[in-house]
Amino acid sequence: MAERRLHKILSAVVKIKPGEEVLAILVFFYFFLITAPFGIVKSLRDANFLDDLKVENLPFAYLSAILIAVAVSFHAKLQSRISRRLLLQSTLAFFILTGLLFWALFSTPDHWKGLALIYWMWANLFVVALTTQFWFLVNDVFNPREAKRLIGFFGSGGILGGVAGNLLPGFLAKPETSHRLLLASTAFLCACLVVVSLIFSWLEKNEDRFASAPGREPKTKRKEPRHVGLWDSFRSVRSDAYLRLMAWVVLATGIVSTFIDWQSKSVIASSPEANVNYVRFFGRFNAGILVFAFLFQLVLTSRFINRFGIRTGLMIYPLIILLCSVGLGIFPASLALAIAIKGGDKALSYSINQSSRELLYIPVLPEMKYRAKVFIDMFLNRFSKAVGGVILLGLIYLVKRPPFAAIGFEPLVWVSVASGAFVIVWIVLNARISRAYVREVKGQLAKKWERADEVVADRMDVDTAKLVVDAIESRTQSSTLFALHLYDLARQNRLSPEIRNLLALKPIERSSSDTRPLFEYDASPWIADFEEPGSPAEMDKEIREILALEEYQKVMGDYAGKVLEDKDARSETARMELAKAIGLMDGRSALADKLDDLLGDDSAKVFQYSAESAGKLKKKVHVPLLARKLADPKTCEDARSALERYRGAIAGALSDYLNDVEEKPEIREQAASLLARIADQEAADSLIEALGRGQDVLKNALIDALDRLRSEVPEVQFKDEVVRAQFAAEIERFGPVKNPSDLLPLFKLLGLIYDHEDVFRAYQNLFKGTKDSIAYAVELLDHTVSQDIKERLFPLLESFSGRRSGIS
Amino acid sequence: MMINKREKNSIVIFDIEGEIRRSDITDVTLHQLVKEQLEVGRKQILLNFDKVDFIDSFGVGEILASYISTHNLGGKLKLARISKKLFLIFQVTMLTKVLDIHDEEASALQSFFKD
Repeated sequence: MAERRLHKILSAVVKIKPGEEVLAILVFFYFFLITAPFGIVKSLRDANFLDDLKVENLPFAYLSAILIAVAVSFHAKLQSRISRRLLLQSTLAFFILTGLLFWALFSTPDHWKGLALIYWMWANLFVVALTTQFWFLVNDVFNPREAKRLIGFFGSGGILGGVAGNLLPGFLAKPETSHRLLLASTAFLCACLVVVSLIFSWLEKNEDRFASAPGREPKTKRKEPRHVGLWDSFRSVRSDAYLRLMAWVVLATGIVSTFIDWQSKSVIASSPEANVNYVRFFGRFNAGILVFAFLFQLVLTSRFINRFGIRTGLMIYPLIILLCSVGLGIFPASLALAIAIKGGDKALSYSINQSSRELLYIPVLPEMKYRAKVFIDMFLNRFSKAVGGVILLGLIYLVKRPPFAAIGFEPLVWVSVASGAFVIVWIVLNARISRAYVREVKGQLAKKWERADEVVADRMDVDTAKLVVDAIESRTQSSTLFALHLYDLARQNRLSPEIRNLLALKPIERSSSDTRPLFEYDASPWIADFEEPGSPAEMDKEIREILALEEYQKVMGDYAGKVLEDKDARSETARMELAKAIGLMDGRSALADKLDDLLGDDSAKVFQYSAESAGKLKKKVHVPLLARKLADPKTCEDARSALERYRGAIAGALSDYLNDVEEKPEIREQAASLLARIADQEAADSLIEALGRGQDVLKNALIDALDRLRSEVPEVQFKDEVVRAQFAAEIERFGPVKNPSDLLPLFKLLGLIYDHEDVFRAYQNLFKGTKDSIAYAVELLDHTVSQDIKERLFPLLESFSGRRSGIS
Repeated sequence: MMINKREKNSIVIFDIEGEIRRSDITDVTLHQLVKEQLEVGRKQILLNFDKVDFIDSFGVGEILASYISTHNLGGKLKLARISKKLFLIFQVTMLTKVLDIHDEEASALQSFFKD
């Protein structure tokens, strides 16, 4: 009951699933309780530095970030040797104790001024270690789709913590006693220690639901901890193009962020409103921008990313910074612009940029992700500030000397210009990584199965198989038929050694009526004749000349007449032979006209050979005769095969059958399927027009046909509006989905207007894949289909298998 | 091509020798020889291909023309000792369904009496 109420309350602010409530709240508070002390620690860091060491020395403080590498390396080693639970708890304990130590040192009257630099480094380590550990836990516990759904909620917990943490110095700090706020930060960390313990206890109790998360392995079979050092992590990043690109993005972000920090602090340090009480100023300032960031995160981030995607999410931050940087270059003394640029930097980096960047890890395999995060998030994120510091030092040194000094611009203007240039680089990198992201997601989606028709077409020579089977069958039936089959095989160069051996086998039973030695069923001598050098072509020429002889036409015309008159079952073989032989003739010969009668034969075997010959002659007069047989299951396949051989020549006729409402549905369905086999734009247009007419009886056949056509010829275009309208009509009909295949027509329709391969990879992985591949599949769809389709499709997928697939 | 005529039990036997091809047409064709026999009332004709190395479509046309002429007059024309290859061509063109083909001359001759 309480859980249901909790679910109801949380559902108002976040898309939460039943069973996630307690964990989500704990994680929310975890982030709250580590970001609240950040506010205190960072306000004190900036104020102490500006008070004791002045703004001129700030670039050296940025440079100190390089020492973070040592700490990160140590942290990485520690992480690989102890459990996640112990790591988190011991790190919190470390910062509680060292926080108390700094409080004691700052309380000493006339403390050493260099302490401000050491505290700066400690504060940075504090932020990077606790933040990284938090995201480690989120990655451990939630799959990518869950994380994407809940990230706004957790993020808002962090921002709320930051607001609370910054309000404390903002209202309580006094110039001489501000260091006492460190006691408040340790109190937050103590509370965080309790929350972390509660999270792990909850995870242990709910092991089944979150069975894959590290730190929650079954007690009987605990996994070896991963040994990922900084060097290992660097090598992993270096070896992967996508991770390398991500590292460049982080480096560019860090450099720009350093520039912005210097730009804003330079203006703030020279501002009389700020320098009375730096701690109070930074506390209020940070609290203000975090309130903005919190509202942005809570209300907009998830919606923004869901609606516009990662690419826009990654672009909005640098574009706003670019705008502010240009403004600061024009009005270098503007406190409002300094606050705006720093405010924009913090608000957007905590909200949309942090969320988007975490999402960039989605297509990275879990093991690789852990390795990469050590270098990118823990080391490079800080190291980039040091790089920014070095560039800043060099730039300030340079612009104070000729020829730049002669221009007369303040260093702040030059830094703003350089900052703008780096933002442009950053934007380019963001554009590249957002493209790479979609590619990587696709790369993670293995195709689960091939289309059966494509497999058959690619891997099997169906025509040869049929010909060989017919040849084998004909051995005991008729030597003429057998010879005709052999001739067919030889003409098509299909008498491979395997087929030759197969055909040379003697049948089990031998007809007692055949006594002639030439009728021996051991076909080897015959096959040898077909295989003499130059023989098939020479023989083919001779046979065609014979068939064209006037005498031949007369002799065989009389024979055919007799055969056709005798509809006795015993003459079935003769009709089969005749039907097969006509396929060798010129379509204009008198004998070819006999095919009309043979195509109407009641015997399915006779029709088989007649249809085969009709397919070879491709006379339009035979099309109605073949089409009529499409409705009969016994003759349908042969009629289809024959009609397929006409290719585009009968597209119009097939289109007529398709649209003839008085025609049998079976024939109309087959016409749709045959149009798909023709696979050209005209066929596609006929099918889409038929679909647009809303012919319910043919709907599935039309969708199947269009899908097949699309898979065979991806460049064929379909009328977008017809497909979308059909999709909308189809989806309207759905209630709760019970069977995955129910959704197939929807995916087939999507495949017509989006990348067919991508849509089907997504479909296959949604319903047959692992938990991760399902998440990747939804992610791919998220980046593939338009918003209106997402809004209709995703709830439907959710109703089918929300928890199973992790669909949000 | 050489064609020799002989008779056995009132059956006219043409022993054909060499190659029957369009490029090698002799003054008198097989069909003309058959027609001559038909004109004198000999309606039972056997073509012996024992010494024939090659027959092209022209040769087949000659055989078929001879068959038609004989058949139209109510006579019988049979073939003996044709090569495996020619038999195969006859199979493929279904001429085995129309022409009476025998492995040996003796069996062919006997068949005239059975008809």
